Amino acid sequence: MLNVSELEFKHKKYKRSFYYRYLIIFSVVIIGLIPILLFTLFDEKVEIQTTKQQAIITPIIEEKNDSITQDSNSTLIIVEENISKKEKIIPIIETKEIEDNSSILEEKRVLLTPSLSFIDRIESSNTQHITNVISDIKEVEVENIEPIIEEVKPKEQIIVNNKIESIEKTLPRIEDKKTSINIERKDEESDIADVIKRFNINHNPALSLFIAKKYYQLGNYEQAYNYALMTNDLNNNIEGSWIIFSKSLVKMNKKELAIETLKKYISYSNSSQAKQLLDEITSGKFK
Amino acid sequence: MKPSIYENSRDVFLDTVNAKDYIQLERISAIYDSLKDSIEKPLKMVLLYGKPGTGKSMFLSRLYQNLLPLQKVYLYSTPILDESEFFKTLAQDLYGIAYDGELNFTQFIKILENRELQDTAIPLILLDEAQLYSTAMMEKIRLLSDTRKVKFLIALHKTDKEDIIAKEHFQTRIWESIKLENSSNSELKIYIQKKLMKANCIDTASMFTQKSINLIHKLTDGNFRNANKLVYTLFDIYLYYANTNPSKITKGEVSTKYIEMAAIHTGLINA
Ligand SMILES: Nc1ncnc2c1ncn2[C@@H]1O[C@H](COP(=O)(O)OP(=O)(O)O)[C@@H](O)[C@H]1O
Ligand SMILES: [Mg+2]
Repeated sequence: MLNVSELEFKHKKYKRSFYYRYLIIFSVVIIGLIPILLFTLFDEKVEIQTTKQQAIITPIIEEKNDSITQDSNSTLIIVEENISKKEKIIPIIETKEIEDNSSILEEKRVLLTPSLSFIDRIESSNTQHITNVISDIKEVEVENIEPIIEEVKPKEQIIVNNKIESIEKTLPRIEDKKTSINIERKDEESDIADVIKRFNINHNPALSLFIAKKYYQLGNYEQAYNYALMTNDLNNNIEGSWIIFSKSLVKMNKKELAIETLKKYISYSNSSQAKQLLDEITSGKFK
Repeated sequence: MKPSIYENSRDVFLDTVNAKDYIQLERISAIYDSLKDSIEKPLKMVLLYGKPGTGKSMFLSRLYQNLLPLQKVYLYSTPILDESEFFKTLAQDLYGIAYDGELNFTQFIKILENRELQDTAIPLILLDEAQLYSTAMMEKIRLLSDTRKVKFLIALHKTDKEDIIAKEHFQTRIWESIKLENSSNSELKIYIQKKLMKANCIDTASMFTQKSINLIHKLTDGNFRNANKLVYTLFDIYLYYANTNPSKITKGEVSTKYIEMAAIHTGLINA
């Protein structure tokens, strides 16, 4: 339950500090302006310097006003800014509102950036030189696109073959794998931390399931169990969460509970993956 | 207003992804149309990217729902980590083949190459949260799309790390990338109001005047997820007052103070 009285208190504090800040900025500006005024009045030689100072001070004021005020004047400015920003972006498509009951709408533009820009930025050892096909995809007609692809194709083919070979080569070598696993693991743990952070923010079951699976892979079955459970709380229709949940249970020597869970799930989902796992657990193939 | 109205309005802003709650915004439907175009083009991969909370998952689930009656399409909302599991899932989905043991990349790509397309439309796989796939896995996905027997639409949120993925692994592809942005001021207004109206909360929808929208937009930067959190808390505050001290609720528009309180609670304002 929301603690509203505490929130009210915090809000009061926030408002107070907000006015203080305003006051401080205001007095700084006044104090800063006095010498400038004095200089401009009494010494013409300093003129250049004073204009410089003004230039430094005024933007600060504007910026602050912008971020704080709520009166209608300044919000108008913000809206205008938004629009002008939009228009700086290369517009490709213009659209009209199709939907019915919506309120007032301005014209808006959509940004579709062909990611070809990174093609020419890259110098890679095995790709050598890829043709500089920088074109606006949106504007290329289908007939135009075909020849471009044909042109690139032979090179692609070579790359594909190279890549497959190199992947095949790395797979069977066990020693190689061992060393690379160590390195990977470190990566994975920092990855998990990153994903956990994101999960705590948005409670996306895709993320918690991902975390559960990662933990399972790393052999941390308690955490795998925890996150599978959380996934299941968020959405109990994700097959993967039931599977990881049950597998973790088995790993934690709770085979009976795992079997019970799977049976319950199978009874309403008819999941073939769950059935297979249940078979493997009961027959002792999975332990 | 009855407290239950605030409760219903609050729950409209729970952070869930469900195609039926989709709100059409003109900018997004334009992106949607062009994405549908590019799916039909000979492009092999399409990238959808944008900050968290810009609506990528929502967009994918909508696209999935719409394409489902038209062509073969599959949505993988959760990354399938295990490689063998990934290829087995693909084999199952694309060709209905169930594998018992392991299925590695080389085996799978052979299957793919030997299959004739049954349809005119190439089957489409929608991969959400794709930044979670390993670099090696992304490389293999790229190679799969080279066979032209399957297409991938990849959704990821952009960080420096994903820039690297983009560089190293898709450099040789002619493909299209589409960016989802935070909503503009007027889009946010439509978003909030339509969401409420869809749930029949017309009275609360009309409380969001331009002034309150301006403030919410400033606080959330137009990010859907942040806006959801803020408005959810806002209605929670209203609910509290409706239950304990109804005289504190002023009629008409949303109170600036309550918006700020909600922003403090959700961490959008540091206090
Ligand atoms: N077009 C839309 N219509 C309705 N709700 C949306 C729309 N776009 C985003 N949302 C809401 O915003 C939240 C964040 O969107 P999401 O798709 O999860 O973002 P992302 O995947 O980019 O992190 C979701 O809870 C979703 O309900
Ligand atoms: Mg998402």
